[in-house]
Amino acid sequence: MKIIVAIKQVPERDARIRIDAAAKWIDLQDVEFMMNESDAYALEEALQLKEAHGGEVVVVSAGPERVGQTIREALAKGADRGIHIESDDLASYDALGVAKLLAAAVEDEEADLILTGLQSDDLGLGQTGVIMAELLKLPHASLILKIEKTDKGIKVLRELEDGWFQHLELPMPALLTIQSGNTKLRYATLMGIKRAKTKEVRRITVNDLLTANPEVKIGDRVLDLEKVMLPNKQRTTQMLGGSPAEAAAALVEKLQFEVRAL
Amino acid sequence: MMPGWMPGSIAAPPSALCASLAGLGVLAEPGHFSLVEKLLLVALVVASAWLFWKRFGVVLKKILESRKDPGFKLFPLGKRVWDFFWEVLCQAKVIRERPLPGLAHAFVFWSFLAFALVTMNHLAVGMGLGFLDPAGAFGRLYFWFAGAFAIACAISIGGLFVRRFIVRPVWLSRPALPGHEISPESGIIAGLIFLLMATYLASFWVADDSLAARALWWVHTLSLLVFLPLVPHTKHLHLILSPFTIFLSRGGFSQIPALVGDEDFGLVTGKDLTQLVSLQAYSCVECGRCTEHCPAANTGKSLNPKEIVLGVRSYLNEYGPTAEELLLGKYNSQEAAFQCTTCGACEFQCPVGIEHLPIIVGLRRGAVNTGEWEDAHGSKLFLAMERNSNALGMSAMERDKFVQKQELPIFDGSQEYCLWLGCMGGYDPKGREIISSFVEVMRYLGTSYGVMRKEKCTGDPARRLGNDLVFQQLAESNLEAMSQQKVKKIISICPHCVRTIQEDWKEFGAPPEIEHHSEFLARHKDRLPYTNTGEKIVYHDPCYLGRYRNVYDEPRSVIAAAGTLVEAERNRERSFCCGAGGGLAFLGEETGKRVSSVRAQELVATGATTIGAACPFCNTMFRDALAAGGENPPRLLDIAQIAANQIKSAQLPQSAAKPQA
Repeated sequence: MKIIVAIKQVPERDARIRIDAAAKWIDLQDVEFMMNESDAYALEEALQLKEAHGGEVVVVSAGPERVGQTIREALAKGADRGIHIESDDLASYDALGVAKLLAAAVEDEEADLILTGLQSDDLGLGQTGVIMAELLKLPHASLILKIEKTDKGIKVLRELEDGWFQHLELPMPALLTIQSGNTKLRYATLMGIKRAKTKEVRRITVNDLLTANPEVKIGDRVLDLEKVMLPNKQRTTQMLGGSPAEAAAALVEKLQFEVRAL
Repeated sequence: MMPGWMPGSIAAPPSALCASLAGLGVLAEPGHFSLVEKLLLVALVVASAWLFWKRFGVVLKKILESRKDPGFKLFPLGKRVWDFFWEVLCQAKVIRERPLPGLAHAFVFWSFLAFALVTMNHLAVGMGLGFLDPAGAFGRLYFWFAGAFAIACAISIGGLFVRRFIVRPVWLSRPALPGHEISPESGIIAGLIFLLMATYLASFWVADDSLAARALWWVHTLSLLVFLPLVPHTKHLHLILSPFTIFLSRGGFSQIPALVGDEDFGLVTGKDLTQLVSLQAYSCVECGRCTEHCPAANTGKSLNPKEIVLGVRSYLNEYGPTAEELLLGKYNSQEAAFQCTTCGACEFQCPVGIEHLPIIVGLRRGAVNTGEWEDAHGSKLFLAMERNSNALGMSAMERDKFVQKQELPIFDGSQEYCLWLGCMGGYDPKGREIISSFVEVMRYLGTSYGVMRKEKCTGDPARRLGNDLVFQQLAESNLEAMSQQKVKKIISICPHCVRTIQEDWKEFGAPPEIEHHSEFLARHKDRLPYTNTGEKIVYHDPCYLGRYRNVYDEPRSVIAAAGTLVEAERNRERSFCCGAGGGLAFLGEETGKRVSSVRAQELVATGATTIGAACPFCNTMFRDALAAGGENPPRLLDIAQIAANQIKSAQLPQSAAKPQA
């Protein structure tokens, strides 16, 4: 089973966010980067499928040189090789543009399965994976919690809203976008990091990629980022009235559906 | 009772007895040996030596075939010579921990030393080459000297026999192995030693050249020749190995060796066992002092430090030091290896120089660095340390908020101290209280300090759990931040941070000077207002401050200034762990009893109304244990809080007095 995992490098969760001068994006100076969380879960799913059924896991990521570090991390956790689409101005592409680049880079791999995270922690559009599937003309499903291989293809568990789930069967090849949190991520190991040194990472610039795939036209942005701002934080206190039993019931409901802590 | 003595005394004619008494006891010698006797003696000696070597050669080969210890340095010799003198020749560790059996053992050992010359002469006599004249001045003196030791040794070995086979302390046994509760060979060895001493002593009471003298000589010789091959086959191998083990130790307490090259992940298979580990495994004398003090073994967990060491020995016996079989398999379990709190009581007590912590942490490294160890809590901890750079998995923003709220100055190189918050001080509510109190003290004293703008975990839990990748990343990043900020002196409320920064970071650079706040408080004690209320305060020695850093008196001096210091039953070097160390604070529920509640009960049993702690991890463990323990538990305060309370109460009467004035 050949599985491709598209991963994105995003600012670290705890990074001190400052808006850049043009208010178009965050100031990336002094910011550390990490693997996008749901992509980490996509990678974990891929590694578990490989462990169960054999095959190969290939990671693909686009971005400047620092992205190489995230690719190495994926290799250290057990991916077999990497593809790095080198671009210093990835922010100039919208989700469609990025999806076109990723699709072009993996098309020839003829993978059985392509996994991505559900959405990125920085932009949070949740589009790249599904657009990629459309470009590659693959069946796809989003918000996937569980993947099971069957004789005919795959059976997946999809999260819907309000605690509802959906079971789907798809033929392979297919593309799935993975929801965070359903499996346990593995920790990176020293052995993994040492072994990753010898694994192959193919670097390809955007220009070379487009030259090699003349049918891919990036075109104009269809989505524009107007303005970026920091969230306005405010605290409100809500008093839950009524009898203790009513207050408790109201609290449970809020914890369940607003805070989602239960 | 004395098989060697009886025939001698009976066989000796009364006149000879009188003569020897009149001559104040001259060791009787059998006189001339026939050629047959000499040939028989040579044959027996060769057979005994051959039987000895048959086993000892195998052991030696296994030790020598093990991997060389990377980074091992023989020099400087000073400490090695001292350890050898103190622990081997003086038997200091043996005696200190268990004075009575320890002294008995020491007498047996010293007698062996005294008997070296006697034994050489004894065998030489058989070949007609005796070099000590029993009637000569030196010979007479030396044989008396050895005789005195022989008496002490006979009494001692008798006592040790009674202890081992009649009193039967549980620590001597190996309950995990059916039929191995107490090794019977020890009884045979004890009998032989007794026989050696008895035959020697009896020789003072028989006539020279008599049949009795000859009989005693042969019994003594046979005992010796049976004893020799038994040594390498039993735990008595420590007679030969442990002097080397002690002399060749790594030199530091719980010293974890650096990994070398791209294929070193810790103790994964037999190929990773180093010569020191193998030497130590074969040196174990199964005395069980390690087990007796182990918090895991004492609370019903499967870890038993003695069995870890003997597990390595069994592995070496079956597979050898070049095998690719996993070390955590047939003889040692992953479960046991990960129940260790790294409190170090085992290593601290071991009288034969076994370094348990490098072995246990080495086994963990082998399992974690290769991804073999799968544990939900462990993975969560490692991911938190990877992603959030703190063991609690909280956002760094939370620390920023605390720093702002407490108005802690940021270290900029101008202040004297860099105050290291650590994960507990930066994120844990109770740890933050300790920091706040300590800051009050420093403000009172006018000490200049600042905190790092960004701080990452020292890597202690990763280090002890064997995750070298996370540890290295954290250590390197912290070292770089500190050199950028030109940090010279660090002060920390956490003994784990202190140890890790001072010792473990050395693998990746030169860490700044660091001290624990108890040392700072003790040094400035005279400038702090203390009013001794006489309240009973019990002090709990944190493992990483006591055994790891040898700091026992400083925190006690702070407590003694504020109240009446009382001691728990196990204190100082023998303090019992709180259960948090070695990353175990983050690993979820324990099997068996909780270590923390066992220790908390001991502290409560002192009748103290306050428990004085000096480590935020101990603090958090005891807080939970006391809450679960019962009503009206004693107060739990860090020594920084005790010091800060003293300042507060000294200031109260003044401020109260002001309005009146």
